[in-house]
Amino acid sequence: MLDTVVAAETPEGIILELHPAGLPARFYAFLLDWLIRLVILYGFAIVARFLGGLGMAFWIVLLFLLEWFYPIAFELGRSGATPGKKTFGLKVVMDNGLPITPAASLTRNLLRAADFLPFGYGFAIVSMLLRRDCKRLGDIGAATLVVHQPHAAPRITLEKVEPVAPVRPLAPRDQAALVALAARAPTLTGERLDELAAIAASVSGDRGRAGGAVTHRVLGVAQWLMGRRT
Amino acid sequence: MTPLHFEALYQAEWRELETLLDRILGRKKNAAKDGAPVEGQRVAVLYRRACEHLALARARSYPAYLLDQLERLTSDAHQVIYQRREFGLEKVRCFLDQEFPRSVREHSTYVWIAAALLYVPTFVIGWLVYQRPELILSVVSAETAASYERMYSDSATAIGRAAEGDWMMFGYYISHNIGIAFQCFAGGLFAGVGSLFYLVYNGAIAGAIGGYLTERGHSGTFYSFIATHSAFELTAIVLSGAAGLRIGHSLVAPGRLSRVQSLVAATSDSAVMVSGAAAMLLIAAAIEAFWSSASWLPHPVKFAVAGASWIGVLSYLAFQGRSAD
Repeated sequence: MLDTVVAAETPEGIILELHPAGLPARFYAFLLDWLIRLVILYGFAIVARFLGGLGMAFWIVLLFLLEWFYPIAFELGRSGATPGKKTFGLKVVMDNGLPITPAASLTRNLLRAADFLPFGYGFAIVSMLLRRDCKRLGDIGAATLVVHQPHAAPRITLEKVEPVAPVRPLAPRDQAALVALAARAPTLTGERLDELAAIAASVSGDRGRAGGAVTHRVLGVAQWLMGRRT
Repeated sequence: MTPLHFEALYQAEWRELETLLDRILGRKKNAAKDGAPVEGQRVAVLYRRACEHLALARARSYPAYLLDQLERLTSDAHQVIYQRREFGLEKVRCFLDQEFPRSVREHSTYVWIAAALLYVPTFVIGWLVYQRPELILSVVSAETAASYERMYSDSATAIGRAAEGDWMMFGYYISHNIGIAFQCFAGGLFAGVGSLFYLVYNGAIAGAIGGYLTERGHSGTFYSFIATHSAFELTAIVLSGAAGLRIGHSLVAPGRLSRVQSLVAATSDSAVMVSGAAAMLLIAAAIEAFWSSASWLPHPVKFAVAGASWIGVLSYLAFQGRSAD
């Protein structure tokens, strides 16, 4: 996900980072949508059997609607994603990060007919594997993008660590690295955390040393950089 | 300024924006229920503030959780603020009243070419098969030809479907026919060759089957079945094909744009025509399912309605929305 980021600039001058969804995520979402449609069609077919000719007529119209307009209806809805995409945390947006427009949703879903070819979504798969932004042909034509919905990053919880003032001035880059290490601390094993902290040991005047106490002091510096003083 | 200080200073504004967004998007059940309308101006102000804060936080390399929080907040607000509302009855009325027929006339060259690509093979092959019925075997298999004949023979209980048990197949058959239109559009992505192929191919198939059934003496059943919905279906295929050719043309001759830019421009340009075609296909599917397959209706009634449909569709595309109101 790191090397496929697409940057979209807003009129306010900030860069929104979009994370295009790759082939596996989109495949699972597609599979789920396909199953949902299958269940609806079979469920309605059972009902239609009892209604006779009229039921059949409704079933045919339903078949047509589900095949071509199921994704469009959901993409234009509030979540911008079909139930399958929503389950896997995906969403369809325009290239520039804006919500998808009706015209784009329509074209990207009707151009699906080209993605089917030559069989089993062949061109879609090739196109998604070749492109950095994982677009299928319909996405290229309609200027849309399927992106991962961002997850919330874990908050930094270092309540038990005493803040320690760094022994030397730190450049912004170094400060950011230390704070990032502190954020990852709960997810690392103790040994790995000690190893990483040893690299940064010079900030607390422990150059060349390693171990639990050093780690504690390095995290203390991160605490201090975060703005805690007591 | 340290990250914690920064957070403490502006946290309240972010919270407020978050709650407003929750209410707009209906993300939290209890939040959505208090009825007071959201003040748009306040959202815009808070959004711009959050953008400033994000820019500051990035420039100062603040910790990832802070950046993430601000990024999620701004991108959610961005989606809400720049949302385009293109629905509503007024929009639909304007589309049917002016946009769609005007767009068709604007692309009349493509439309005429697409129509020729579909209908010329239909009539040529149809005439050939009518003269020499054995030629049908070089287009479809003997089995398919026989099944078509069964489907449209005068004794069939309901026209267009072989037996009661086969109605699921009938459904797939209709939805396949409608899918042809979308293939004609999407085929444009292959430099227009796809659209060209699908138009000619399907024209030829339709001509062959029509010619064969006419020669076998099933013309009454067959034509009364297809006449009404074909006004919408064939016209929609022509329009989709025209949109496909437009896209193909944009790829072959992009002018001063890059090919991808040219493709995107052509796609959004032909979207109006394609939406119209999709709507016509929906009508066609409904007619095919409810009207065309009803065998109890006498043929003259069906032909009268079919004639009215053809005249209606063609004159709608030719004349609607010409006055500049």
